[in-house]
Amino acid sequence: MRNSSIGVLLLAGVVAGTTAALRPPVASGGGSPAPELTNTSWLNTDHPLRLAELRGRVVLLNFWVFTCGNCTRTVPSLVAYDRQYRSRGLTIIGIHTPEFPPYAGEHDKSNVARALSRQDITYPNAQDNDRRTWDAYDIHYWPSFILIDKRGMIRYTGYGEFHLADAEFRTWDQRIQQLIAE
Amino acid sequence: MMRIALLVALLSTAACRGRPSLVALEAGPPLRLVAAPGVRINARLKPALELDDGTVVRFDSPRLTADSAYFAAAPTAATPRPARRGTLRVSICPSGEGICRSLEIAVAW
Repeated sequence: MRNSSIGVLLLAGVVAGTTAALRPPVASGGGSPAPELTNTSWLNTDHPLRLAELRGRVVLLNFWVFTCGNCTRTVPSLVAYDRQYRSRGLTIIGIHTPEFPPYAGEHDKSNVARALSRQDITYPNAQDNDRRTWDAYDIHYWPSFILIDKRGMIRYTGYGEFHLADAEFRTWDQRIQQLIAE
Repeated sequence: MMRIALLVALLSTAACRGRPSLVALEAGPPLRLVAAPGVRINARLKPALELDDGTVVRFDSPRLTADSAYFAAAPTAATPRPARRGTLRVSICPSGEGICRSLEIAVAW
């Protein structure tokens, strides 16, 4: 006998998704021009940053969101890079890209500010609420990383959580040092 | 009580290529979101069922991992009435990949 309270969900179809075929963790090479940043809402800086004004510096973009545990567990590594290399020519920029619509609170600038404070993040962060930078860089996962050389060329990309002093941390550290030295 | 559960694969490119489904939605009541082995559901971004009338129903569970980042038991949500369809959003973080990614799927019941 069928229970009237039984509900059956039927798949109607995939609307959209940010899943995509897994890409190689890291790509490198001569580089392609890094798309310019056009975000208007920023934290930890007194003006919207543009890559054009950062020529001559190495730039590490970190695509993240404070609701992502993989992202927040990687932040201590980024804070360490910032402390070690900012004065030597590295600029780290967080690109805070929400996963869910605004009802989840990820779009709220005060929530982002609290997350920055909680994790001692002092490097600039852009609010990428409309995903313009996420899309421009063809990002699919949180966290993701783009390392840009002094000429504004993308030299390394990757994604995934890493931790202080682990192998992935050391790999990114070496890449940063390499590009600073060029 | 007889219980019919229709597992709804949240399709991804990976799933389309023959990999196991990442999560499944089990009909209730209540609705229940079940993750495949090795797949963690993000508890800091509670899964959401968006109804056509604009209502958003959130999934939740009192059982979380020690760091409160993921659900330790399948999150549930009350079956919305009289709604018949909606869009399900879920943030999943496969444990071996060190990433989170979003899934979005239309469902009807």
